[in-house]
Amino acid sequence: MSYVPDIHWGVMVIVLPLAGAVCCFLWPRRAVPLGLVTALGIVACVAGLGWQVVEQGAQRYAVGGWGAPLGIDLYADGLSLLMLMVAAVAGLGISVYSCGYFHRPDAKRDKAKHFWPLWMFLWAALNALFLSADIFNLYVTLELLGLAAVALVALAGGADALTGAMRYLLVSLLGSLFYLLGVALLYHGFGSVDITLLAERVEPSPVVWAAMGLMVTGLLLKTALFPLHFWLPSAHASAPAPVSALLSALVVKASFYILLRLWLEIFPFANAALAQLLGLLGAAAVLWGGFQALFQARLKMLIAYSTVAQLGYLFLAFPLANVIGWTGALYMLLSHAVAKTAMFMAAGNILYFGGHDRIVDLDRVVQRLPLTITAFALAGVSIMGLPPSGGFIAKWLLLEAAIRAAQWWWGGILILGGLLSAAWVFKVVGYAFTQSEVPHETRTVPASMEWTALVMAVVAILLGLFAPWPLALLEIGSPFGRENAG
Amino acid sequence: MKKTRKPKSITENGKKPAQFRLLPAVLLSALAVGLGYAVLSLPSQASGLSEPVAANLESSGVSNPVTAVLLNFRGYDTLLELGVLLLALLGVWSLGAAPKRRESSPGLVLEMLSRLLVPLLILVAGYLLWIGVHAPGGAFQAGSVLATAGVLSLLTGWRLDTRFSGLPLRITLVAGLGVFVVVGIVLIPMGGRLLAYPPSFAGALILLIEAAATLSIGITLAALFLGGRPETGGHS
Repeated sequence: MSYVPDIHWGVMVIVLPLAGAVCCFLWPRRAVPLGLVTALGIVACVAGLGWQVVEQGAQRYAVGGWGAPLGIDLYADGLSLLMLMVAAVAGLGISVYSCGYFHRPDAKRDKAKHFWPLWMFLWAALNALFLSADIFNLYVTLELLGLAAVALVALAGGADALTGAMRYLLVSLLGSLFYLLGVALLYHGFGSVDITLLAERVEPSPVVWAAMGLMVTGLLLKTALFPLHFWLPSAHASAPAPVSALLSALVVKASFYILLRLWLEIFPFANAALAQLLGLLGAAAVLWGGFQALFQARLKMLIAYSTVAQLGYLFLAFPLANVIGWTGALYMLLSHAVAKTAMFMAAGNILYFGGHDRIVDLDRVVQRLPLTITAFALAGVSIMGLPPSGGFIAKWLLLEAAIRAAQWWWGGILILGGLLSAAWVFKVVGYAFTQSEVPHETRTVPASMEWTALVMAVVAILLGLFAPWPLALLEIGSPFGRENAG
Repeated sequence: MKKTRKPKSITENGKKPAQFRLLPAVLLSALAVGLGYAVLSLPSQASGLSEPVAANLESSGVSNPVTAVLLNFRGYDTLLELGVLLLALLGVWSLGAAPKRRESSPGLVLEMLSRLLVPLLILVAGYLLWIGVHAPGGAFQAGSVLATAGVLSLLTGWRLDTRFSGLPLRITLVAGLGVFVVVGIVLIPMGGRLLAYPPSFAGALILLIEAAATLSIGITLAALFLGGRPETGGHS
């Protein structure tokens, strides 16, 4: 028997942030308590859904009671649940951090007023996306997600942020339209937009290849896989710190999630050459992103390039195509989300503290912001993939998968990528100890901002110690079960 | 901000050698040919969903299949779309306040015409909303017609009184999404699922949602035309 009442948790997970967004918009003066209560509510609902999925297995929910193909289905298995949990953990952290960030003594009230409803909409879009089992509904959630993300980037104001946001908007729309064209082709060809029904009906034909090409391209553009990453660094680096965190941690992962679902369910016949191409692009992203990060002069830009590199690891699982590989990629996604949130928060603290984020001018941050730099270093441990962090487990799984698939050379990429990350982490930490030539004026960073960064970084490390639990979750409903190797 | 950047990007593009401009053209042509081939290979008879829609039209509460799909069978998509519309306005508002109004006379033609047209447009919007139950029409069409009434009024220099541009305006903007979500949720404890209308009330509930959505869509589109946050009176 379950101890948790049989509420439609999946629906609540979507409706609650929507209601929160509307309330934050209606009563901007009470946006902070409303937003925090909503955030806690979402975490509780995700936990409720988690219970339900663990106790009863994968859940399917027909919205409106019609069921596919006429209506829209929601579907929650271990994979969706893990994504929802990543969003809940990072989202709660970002909500707490934002209270400090947008309500500092010198911050403009205006920004906070707009941040909360946009952020709640973005969270609703993420949750709806992770639960959707319908490719057209996924398009609608992608639109919701993209618009909210662009508006949040533009919130920083200034020429850099507006240019970054504009470019992001155009790229995001182009990606969505590519995806939508693919949806239209699939619907015309097979008479359904439900993923499960399509999986039964789709067989290789020119239409399917065209749809696959369009959808994969659109989603890769949104996921910023090398060489389609050109828009990411400027958008992620110029946004306000909590927004950079949620873009790198969650938004780019959402389109990756759709790509993964489509790849596993609708296009399982995709040929090995295409999978190898994705793997190669992933490897190129790891190396290119790592090198670019090493040569950046500004901390936030460096972290943004590291996101480009880390996204590359996710694509190494495609050529391996075994269960361990997919699990490793998902674990990479999870630990990167948490570690990158911590890292952008730490960068936000440093930026606020000294009024700049030039790496050479870090000026003994270690002594003055010990918690922040600890958070940065701990998050760096996970990004490098050193034990006992979550990043280590992910790389270990990917390495094992590479050996099982007899494609050991991907292991070399893992090691090179780790070395590059180590190089830039040590560079930043090194400058954090040195005294700069010119003294800078400094401001006090609110304690809540420092502690949230540290807590997120500790979670990233703990992910390495408590790995079996999330890994067990991933097996519910066997989202990767179609693969026979492994 | 935008005006100063635009010419710059044009000159940047202008500096590129011709072969770089040729490359996108070649790629796009290849894409067009590939897509054309795929579309030609599609079956001419689409195995769409019109049959199940027709079979369930009876219990949807409306007799226009488009309205049935939008508000009942795939009502969840429409709910999220209303969110997209609201979000677009939020995004525009977060960028800054509306440009200051210039005091200028709208001209005799515009003034006379708008006096005639605005009431007529509101009437047409109401008609489109009502007719949507059994003929082409519905909330999105009615909302856009309502928005043209708003845009015409804005062009003649009319602005919403600052007393109403705070909370009252925001309430009308969220009405569509709000009513949709509340109706959807209220149906759950009544023995159903999210947005599962009982067939006996389905027609009335759909009309209620559509009425609220029409209002919100119309006001949102007109507010987007304004291009920024409206001035609010004293407290917001």
